[in-house]
Amino acid sequence: MLTVNGIRDDLMATTVLEIERLTKRFGGVTAVDGVSLRLEAGRIYGLIGPNGSGKTTLFNCITGVERRDEGRVVFGGGRIDGLKPWEIAQKGIGRTFQLIRVFPELSALENLLVVTRDNLAAARERALELLRFVKLEELRDEYAGNLSYGQQKLLEFVRVLMREPTLILLDEPAAGVNRTLLNDLLDAVRHLRNQGRTVLLVEHDMKVVMGLCETVFVLDHGEKIAEGAPGVIQTDERVIEAYFGR
Amino acid sequence: MIRRGAALAALAAVVAGLAAYPGYASGYGVRATLQIFMWIVLAGSWNLISGLTGYVSFGHVAFFGAGAYTGAILVAKVGWPWLPAALAGGVAAVLLALVIGYPCLRLKGPYFAIALLGLNEVLRALVSYFEGLTGGGNGLSLPTLDATIPIYYAMGASAASVTLLTYVIITSRFGLRLMTIREDEVAAEAMGIDTARHKLYAFLLSAAGPGIVGALTARDQGYIEPISVFPLATTITMIVMVLLGGKGTVWGPVLGAVVLFVAQEVVWARYPYVHPLLFGAIIVAVVLLMPRGVLGLLQSRYRLPRTI
Amino acid sequence: MNVFVTPAMLAQVVVSGILSGALYAMVALGLALIFGVMRIINVAHGPLLMLGAYTTYFLYSALGLNPYLTVPVSMLALFAVGVLLERTLVFRVVDAPELSSLLLTFGISIALVNLAQLLFTSDLRSVEYLTGSWVVGPVALSKPRLVAFVFAGALTGLAFLFLRRTKLGKAIRATSQSREVAMVCGIDVQRIHLITFGLAAALAAAGGALIAMIVAIQPEMGQTWTFKSFLVIVLGGAGNYPGALLGGILLGLIEQVASLFLTTQLSEVVAYVLLVVVLLVRPTGLLGGRET
Repeated sequence: MLTVNGIRDDLMATTVLEIERLTKRFGGVTAVDGVSLRLEAGRIYGLIGPNGSGKTTLFNCITGVERRDEGRVVFGGGRIDGLKPWEIAQKGIGRTFQLIRVFPELSALENLLVVTRDNLAAARERALELLRFVKLEELRDEYAGNLSYGQQKLLEFVRVLMREPTLILLDEPAAGVNRTLLNDLLDAVRHLRNQGRTVLLVEHDMKVVMGLCETVFVLDHGEKIAEGAPGVIQTDERVIEAYFGR
Repeated sequence: MIRRGAALAALAAVVAGLAAYPGYASGYGVRATLQIFMWIVLAGSWNLISGLTGYVSFGHVAFFGAGAYTGAILVAKVGWPWLPAALAGGVAAVLLALVIGYPCLRLKGPYFAIALLGLNEVLRALVSYFEGLTGGGNGLSLPTLDATIPIYYAMGASAASVTLLTYVIITSRFGLRLMTIREDEVAAEAMGIDTARHKLYAFLLSAAGPGIVGALTARDQGYIEPISVFPLATTITMIVMVLLGGKGTVWGPVLGAVVLFVAQEVVWARYPYVHPLLFGAIIVAVVLLMPRGVLGLLQSRYRLPRTI
Repeated sequence: MNVFVTPAMLAQVVVSGILSGALYAMVALGLALIFGVMRIINVAHGPLLMLGAYTTYFLYSALGLNPYLTVPVSMLALFAVGVLLERTLVFRVVDAPELSSLLLTFGISIALVNLAQLLFTSDLRSVEYLTGSWVVGPVALSKPRLVAFVFAGALTGLAFLFLRRTKLGKAIRATSQSREVAMVCGIDVQRIHLITFGLAAALAAAGGALIAMIVAIQPEMGQTWTFKSFLVIVLGGAGNYPGALLGGILLGLIEQVASLFLTTQLSEVVAYVLLVVVLLVRPTGLLGGRET
């Protein structure tokens, strides 16, 4: 039997997020056009596509920053489309932004502390642990706005982890990051996956996508044109067409 | 720790001095200090919503006026003593803030500012319209009572309470969350912070003080009229005080209130005809030359703690 | 409360509403231009209108000029004032948070009003040139209001022609669409800001000159016009210039209709509630402006 939310019971165990025929229009432009996809627990997914293909809009619709026009988003056993961004975050979806959005006039430590409602001592301990994890512990009292680009990127990344999200959306984690830092970030993402979390990342750096993701979704003009393992995607006719024109 | 102790001792000395002040001061001195207390409450309250969340309230005098009329009506028409009437003024202002804030805090940036910019005019119109209760444009007189000194203490207690409240909020995670709204509201929501509720709480807290001192001012002056309690210039004065001292800080509003009030009394009071011109020039100067205020400047230059 | 409304009364309020609506539209177009191009809410818009009214008054009373001929003179004079204000003060807050620009223009506003009090005193003054009404069927058309309507309509039309047809006008609209794109296209954005501010002050001055023949002139006459102009651009959609026309006429009609049922004070309350409701329900205005 189908459950109320339309998810089959036997899939419940592994499905983390299910998007059905999601559509978002801006005026006359359809930014996301009937996209469906399903994410399973403990896996790393990639979301790729040419500029303006709707990747960030899709992120925004999942996290409630934009209201979807049609379709549904199911997470943790219930529909989340229509919820407010903070409600969705509290249900366990964390995200980073394409352009870094730390709180510049809060210290690094405070950037993490504001996120949880746990008691202060426990929150502090967890925050310090996360800062240590990305080697920012010494800079905990520095205003986030005074940190370097890479440090801000790391800070934004661990800020997402404060709430222990089950699903993490990363918008271009590799952009503007040097080699060493990038390897640290990729290790961290794998570490999260090994903890049983799910990661969906938008990325332009194909090396990163191919080396990290187990499944890749390809968007073009708001539509999902392909889905599969990285190796398969690379040889897909439609994907090549989307990237290199016809 | 030693510096902290010294600061606390200095603070205690100032409070004790102010508490003893009416015993030896002139009538003028007491009245002037009482008004400084009032401005500390107004500026400090505006700082709670606008300094912390960045939502610029251009309608804050409305809470002052609502408190003034509530207090005055309770004293003059119902016969309440002034102290409970002042508290009722605070409650009335908070209720008004709920009615205004619930819808308007959903507006972003300039739209919130525009929405609140007309609020004082509307309340003035409403008060003038309900003549039976408020006396309309003729104003409302309160029974004569010499309570300057008790009101001095009530104003002083209000100023201390608002400053203490600011300290408590700024050093709490609630306060930090309010600042995330100022820094980046979209990111704050994406991190799971219920910004709408936080903004509303800050707005309600920021209305209580003006409501209370509005009622105290009504009692102190013995007469109020729509024009005297709803001027936009009062809102602007609170804003300039906070900007001058440093917005988002604990002591900025206090510093700004003292400096601007004293400057007004000492310098501009001698030139009544050009008073608005000078005030306009001060506003322009503060906005262009020191938008972060004295304490904001010191804070970023010397890495002072947030609790100054 | 007047509950009984005859068709003649309705016709009268509709006509009066449209007449004053055209003035609102013209004045608000200035505010809309500044908001659209510079992202600044100019609280000093009303006081600039007041200066325009005084310019007309003095040209009329001291030099005996026909007040309608003073309209272009007032506009030129205030264009210069606008340019001066922009170049010395306003340009400094173009990219600052709205608190800065609102406070700065408020500071300018009270300084201008105070200057007017010092220079011209607070005495009420009037320009009595055209008085009385033409009666057409059941409707009385106030002569100065009708002429003001014609002037406002013509000047607003010219402003739109300027925005649509001339190179400078197109540059202004391009800057208001996207400053970055305008810059890339080689438009001198600083200069566009300067001209926009001057133009807006000139439109306010035209309003002031025409109003000078309708109501009393005094230093504080401008403030309500600032608020009304806000209302117009909110109704029409901030940054949407044709919207200002619709918003102006709409405000004129709403005010006149409200005056049938409500006291002046309560119609102010109604206008405010309307402002907030429109902001909440359609933050882009009734015609739909652009997203901020």
